[in-house]
Amino acid sequence: MEEAIRPQAVALDARLAAASDAELVAACAEGVQEAFRELLRRYRKSAMMLAYQMLGNGEDAEDIAQEAFVRVFQAVPKFRGESAFSTWLYRIVTNLCLGRMRRSHPTVALESVAEPGTADGPAQQVAEGMLTREVLAAMPPELRVVLLLREQEGLSYGEISGALHLPMGTVRSRLSKARKRFRKVWNQLGESREKTK
Amino acid sequence: MSSYLDGELQAARAARLEAHLKTCPYCQAELRAMRGISAHIRAASTELQVSQDFDQRVLRTVGYLEVTGRIRKQRSFLRPLVLAAMTLLALLGMIWYCLWRPPLLPVPVPHGAAAVAPAAPQNAPLPPPDTRRR
Repeated sequence: MEEAIRPQAVALDARLAAASDAELVAACAEGVQEAFRELLRRYRKSAMMLAYQMLGNGEDAEDIAQEAFVRVFQAVPKFRGESAFSTWLYRIVTNLCLGRMRRSHPTVALESVAEPGTADGPAQQVAEGMLTREVLAAMPPELRVVLLLREQEGLSYGEISGALHLPMGTVRSRLSKARKRFRKVWNQLGESREKTK
Repeated sequence: MSSYLDGELQAARAARLEAHLKTCPYCQAELRAMRGISAHIRAASTELQVSQDFDQRVLRTVGYLEVTGRIRKQRSFLRPLVLAAMTLLALLGMIWYCLWRPPLLPVPVPHGAAAVAPAAPQNAPLPPPDTRRR
């Protein structure tokens, strides 16, 4: 029996992997659990990374990412497909992050960031990763989110505009400001680290 | 410059900027710095690992919510049904009362006496006196 099921399961996995996001969403709306699992597999990491870069805390990021997928499941019958699934998901993640930030603390804490030398991997890479997260945490949330959606998730200006309900002009100007702010804070934090060595 | 980096600049303006970049080291440095930001953010993104039971926790939560939704649906279905049944019973009760209620008890009549004649109307003329010899 198991031998007979296995080829069918493999065939189903192959079909799901080849399906577009829109096809998977339609299948989810029909109650096909495997379609929802495939969407989970495709987007769990990027949802969690976006939340992590917004909040600076891995545990909170995982909570947010899970909550986002639960909301996707609840709302998928009403999803009209006017935007891409990824845009919709990132909008949910962003709103959850901003809500969490408003409720808990106006600035993002970085308790979970390891000190240099205590994390795995090349020291330089770890240090730069830490500095990147500190710089992002120091930015206003509205600049941080457009920068992450563009640089981390690769969304176009139009997709960012749809995800955040912002005019294109606002997306353009916020990205420009975000990059300038990132450079400024990076240089400031980098200099202060050099001084403390 | 930011729009140019993202490929969101109109073709004519992009061409002008590219021509300028060939001769301006300051703008070249600016563009390099922006590309560096992209690289740092993407590099920082690959470090985080998703926990192995992430999917299971989501699916468990979703499964729970789905069951609860079904139960809520059944409750909301019962309520109008009960109300409809009660309304129907009340209506039937009224119909029964109007059409099939048991008759009122008759007034007891003395033995041998005729049925009670209906009372004469108030303005009816009096019957003539009985003049027969007995």
